[in-house]
Amino acid sequence: MSETGGAEVVAVAHASPAIVVDGLYKRYGEFEAVRDLSFQIGAGEVVGFLGPNGAGKTTTMRMLTGFIPPTEGTIRIAGFDIFKQGLAARRSIGYLPEIPPLYPEMTPRSYVDFVAKLKDIPRRKRKDAVERALGLCGLLDVCRREIRQLSKGYRQRIGLAQAIVHEPKVLVLDEPTVGLDPIQIREIRAMIRDLAETGGQTILLSTHILAEVEAICQRVVLIQHGRKVLDQSLSELTSGGASLEEVFTRVISRESENVTEEGAL
Amino acid sequence: MKHTGTIAARELRSLFVSPVAYVVLTLWSVIAGTFFLASLIGFNDQLIQYQQYQMLQQIESMNLNDNLIEPFIGSMWVIILFLLPAVTMGLVSSEKANGTEELLLTSPISIWDIVFGKFLAGAGFVAVMSAIVAFFPAILFVYGEPELGKTLSGLFSLLMVSVTYVAIGVFASAVTRNQLVAFIFTFVMLLIIGMMLPFLVEVALAGGGLPSDSVISQTVRWLSTGTHVERMLKGLIDTTDLVYFVVVSGVFLILSKTVIESSRWR
Repeated sequence: MSETGGAEVVAVAHASPAIVVDGLYKRYGEFEAVRDLSFQIGAGEVVGFLGPNGAGKTTTMRMLTGFIPPTEGTIRIAGFDIFKQGLAARRSIGYLPEIPPLYPEMTPRSYVDFVAKLKDIPRRKRKDAVERALGLCGLLDVCRREIRQLSKGYRQRIGLAQAIVHEPKVLVLDEPTVGLDPIQIREIRAMIRDLAETGGQTILLSTHILAEVEAICQRVVLIQHGRKVLDQSLSELTSGGASLEEVFTRVISRESENVTEEGAL
Repeated sequence: MKHTGTIAARELRSLFVSPVAYVVLTLWSVIAGTFFLASLIGFNDQLIQYQQYQMLQQIESMNLNDNLIEPFIGSMWVIILFLLPAVTMGLVSSEKANGTEELLLTSPISIWDIVFGKFLAGAGFVAVMSAIVAFFPAILFVYGEPELGKTLSGLFSLLMVSVTYVAIGVFASAVTRNQLVAFIFTFVMLLIIGMMLPFLVEVALAGGGLPSDSVISQTVRWLSTGTHVERMLKGLIDTTDLVYFVVVSGVFLILSKTVIESSRWR
């Protein structure tokens, strides 16, 4: 089986891919943060984006959302090129960066309303969209307080509310549960699962927690040193009886360029 | 650029809940009040002096516009140099420091929305500052008869200067994530354009090294804000002076856009 075999199977199952990444490179001078990265994510898929610290996850997500341009390669979001059709592509994305992009002096409601305006939600639908996002993220109780007074867990939820307010086709979440306590982690996970099930949204999320991947994701893309080393559906990965942790440790420690999935399993 | 208003409205609201805004507005009001009082007392003293010496001609030539309002507004635009950097320092740099730059640049808005939004918010703030200054000459209209046109022209020059300086502040704020750096950078640029340029010309002229009608001295004189403010304070609203404010604002807004755009390529 080829390395991209899993991806192709899924791509066929979902006719129009929501995210298409082709030959992506990001270089900072001599340093290559991302090298020849290609993958497709079908509509409605929930994909875990994994890799050790410094593997290039955040860099890749920043390129996917149009925050930084790639050195080489193309990115299509919901069929739109992230740079040539930037406005349409960015309208289709909800993005929760590693640090939630919040204005501490605002209230959650005014903040989400501000984002709703930025994301081009028509005026008459805006109020409902804001209430829906606040409700989904469990923020209605605190929506009149200043963000600066709220705990980290709430801030993460506001970040999530901001990402989903315009019901984007594609959600990119950069470590959505980092720094939260176990109960908050469970809540955020449940929220993400709900979004995938009810909203039919395509979700790409990065994380270090393998249990999170098992709980939410259908597929895993693993990168190391900016290169893709694994891209497979979760059921295939664990069908051999090995735990995710074993699989990943093996793949990462091998640090070889031509890892086949057969070998990894 | 339909999101300019969204960005500007949010920024203005944040500006007015920030402690910086209140410190600046308080200082500004206190300084304006003090200067106005000082100008008023000076005006009276002068009048009394002239009366004592029976200098009727001088008394005749004294009026509220030239001897009170003009020097008052003229000193306020110098104060702007010191206070305005505090207003504009956070306009763009705080977005970088907060991480909200990532939200703005991944939203379906153009960079011009950000630049104009910030500029408009700053302009709104300095409009409030100009309104505070306008309050003092307004008092004179109750007790005397200053010329309305001249007074408005002077206030307009203050507003134009401040708005132009906001554009410079937006640029300084766009090049760094550090508000203190933005403050100092803005302050230095304002000092150069507001005070040092005319000073340099005068020094060069006094030294005789530069003929007063040479291209260099004329350019430098055109570049310095004071040249244009002085005429407006005297009630002369000239297109060339307006062009100056538009050109300087435009150049710095274009620079701001370029800086914000290029920061993602690093």
